Amino acid sequence: MDHTEILGSVELFEGITPAELQAISGICKEITFKNGDVITQQDETGEDLYIVLDGFVEVLHSGTAPEQSPRTIVHLGKGQIFGEMALVDHGPRSATVRAASAPTKLLMIHCNDFEQECEENHHLGYIVMRNIAADLSFKLRHRHFADR
Amino acid sequence: MPAIYKVSYVVSGEDHPGAILNSETSPQQGDVISLGSSDFEVIEVIDLIPPRGDFHYLHATLVRTSEKA
Repeated sequence: MDHTEILGSVELFEGITPAELQAISGICKEITFKNGDVITQQDETGEDLYIVLDGFVEVLHSGTAPEQSPRTIVHLGKGQIFGEMALVDHGPRSATVRAASAPTKLLMIHCNDFEQECEENHHLGYIVMRNIAADLSFKLRHRHFADR
Repeated sequence: MPAIYKVSYVVSGEDHPGAILNSETSPQQGDVISLGSSDFEVIEVIDLIPPRGDFHYLHATLVRTSEKA
């Protein structure tokens, strides 16, 4: 399935060429979740990056104390990405993410496929990494406002 | 490509995590938006950072509609 048009409206790919979008479209897989389905689990290994196509996901974080229940830290809607930290640092998932709408439609990209595209095309790699940094920065700014 | 507005929505006066989403139109004061099963009214919109390409980056403050009444 060709996702080129929709990928063009995702900030992660702002600034890349139509041919590069086509290459990214080739490594995307569309998946649909039911409300409440867990998509990623905090502290587990994760190797995929996700883009919200339709609906919302809920991002939950658990503290270190065992009795502390998970706390919702943000809802992400159309066009937002999650799972990008695994692409950047290869660490475990920093949060649990679950579907918060019925249905929740996502695009999933395996990090190895994504890294290979970036390795083979440094323009694409530079733009995508810059946009990931900008997205992480935006999420931090959102937290600053939410914590006021 | 038309402009895309990436909006950070924060709910004022309660412990609500807010949301981030893309919109094809800029939110305006007085708009009512739905997050989950609740409705909220936009009471403030500011430019968060300068636009880049087709993307505009906004912050919007919300209050629960029942509180506004």
